Amino acid sequence: MAEPVIEAENLGIRFAVNRRRKRSLREMFIHGTKRDPNPTGKDFWPLRNVSFSVGQGECVGIVGKNGTGKSTLLKMIAGVLIPDEGRVTVRGKVAPLLELRAGFNDQLTGRENVHLVGSLHGMPPETIEEKFGEIVEFANLREGYIDMPVRHYSSGMKVRLGFALISQLQHPVMLVDEVLAVGDKAFRKKCYEAIGRMLENNRTMVLVSHNEGDLKRFCDRGLYIKDGALALDADIETSLQAYNDDTKAEAEAAKKRAAKRKAAEEKKAAEQQQAAEQEKPADGGEQGGGQAA
Amino acid sequence: MASRALSVWQNRQVVGLLVKRDLKVKYQKSILGYAWSMLEPLAMAGVYFFVFGLIFNTNRGVPGGDDAPGGYLLFLISGLLPWLWFSTALNEAPKALISQAKLITTMKVPREIFPIAVVTRGFVDYLFTWPVLLLFVFALSGRTHLMGLLVWLPLALLVQYAFTLGVTFLLASVNVLVRDVERVVRILNRVLFYASAIIIPSGMVLDSDSFPQWFKVLYELNPLLGIFKMHHAVWYPADAPNAFILGTSIGGAIIALAVGYWTFRRLETSVLKEL
Repeated sequence: MAEPVIEAENLGIRFAVNRRRKRSLREMFIHGTKRDPNPTGKDFWPLRNVSFSVGQGECVGIVGKNGTGKSTLLKMIAGVLIPDEGRVTVRGKVAPLLELRAGFNDQLTGRENVHLVGSLHGMPPETIEEKFGEIVEFANLREGYIDMPVRHYSSGMKVRLGFALISQLQHPVMLVDEVLAVGDKAFRKKCYEAIGRMLENNRTMVLVSHNEGDLKRFCDRGLYIKDGALALDADIETSLQAYNDDTKAEAEAAKKRAAKRKAAEEKKAAEQQQAAEQEKPADGGEQGGGQAA
Repeated sequence: MASRALSVWQNRQVVGLLVKRDLKVKYQKSILGYAWSMLEPLAMAGVYFFVFGLIFNTNRGVPGGDDAPGGYLLFLISGLLPWLWFSTALNEAPKALISQAKLITTMKVPREIFPIAVVTRGFVDYLFTWPVLLLFVFALSGRTHLMGLLVWLPLALLVQYAFTLGVTFLLASVNVLVRDVERVVRILNRVLFYASAIIIPSGMVLDSDSFPQWFKVLYELNPLLGIFKMHHAVWYPADAPNAFILGTSIGGAIIALAVGYWTFRRLETSVLKEL
């Protein structure tokens, strides 16, 4: 088998819990480490012991609840976060569709920004020149907007221009984070087509999304992340199924808990009502009625 | 370490792009644009000349005597221009990473690029002010010499670049975690300005009897002193730094670069999490 394009070994990253505010120098000097803002000092591992490898041409979807470290994982693959444990190797250049407006400078015009961000992502100037018309057309900007400062753009326009630009990158690895969730229907359709086209050239893609349709459409494999660990590495259908089952189970558990709580509350209310009735028989009934409502 | 340097070198065009972008943004919104690069130091020089040149009209200690070619005014200008480079970099250093957070968290480039871009932009801005400097040189019939042009000027630029970069590395990374740095920098900027013989020739301190010896040694230990003495020495050979001051400058720059870069790399992991 050929060398995997993305290889993650035992990946783990640690965040300090409750780091609500920065420690100021004064505190550091005066109190040393004693008065740490996070006195419990417990570390939190959004991700740990994650290992997988992705071969060329594969499209992998990552599913899981909010806050389970999906985006963190993507960022580590992109190389913009450094893991505290293990390592991730990516062979080939990466086109990160993580935050599409990123890198646009509000003061510069759309044209200047396309050149700037394109070059920052390693596009040669000739390619940008060549694809410029295509990018503007794809972004569907109104007449004349391309030569206006980006700060006058609507957020949708910025995202469209960003996607139009980044999707022109010829890098072999693509990382996509929920960006498909933006834009109107017509634009989303265009995005799907563009992504489909990109995948045709045997490129590798990792996609983070909550949209089952998106995932089933593009991915042939799914990683299910649960509580900061890789719970399942299978085909996309199975992973989504596992995710859905877990969600359902959790919803039921939550419902049960809620029901229990409600029962407890009702019991308490009833007891209170009884007590109230014993003390002030006159207005106890009214009070109880209010609580029940 | 070596591979890191290589990857920075491979991304040198990114530095160029960032510098170009910042200059464009800086000049775009103002009517006078590029002229500001020259007007600001001119205004500063005017103020200092008014205060120290005209009001306190005493011995100003210009190296080589008050009749040296160029006089006190050229002395001021030749120190102020490179000082502005250092002071802008110092001011922007704490924000070098924070202000680029969006780019840093989505683009895989060596993070060193961003501090380097800040220092390089200051340097380019400084180069832009050379026409002003030359104007004063001709108007005041300032004179240079081979030693000044071939040794002091390149050495001053090199040492200043290294020192500034080291400081920027340090401040940029530390400030992401501890925001006090921004405050410290403002004070530092003011203190270093008067401590580095930019408008007050170093002879006024070193040859004076009113300062104790330990103070003079402390004064000489400031790496910036030697850097600005070198800048002055291009036009005033008498201001050339002695071996000790030159040593502290070069040594200071190397230490600053080493400590700054080491800190930068040490904090990189946590900095990326905070951004």
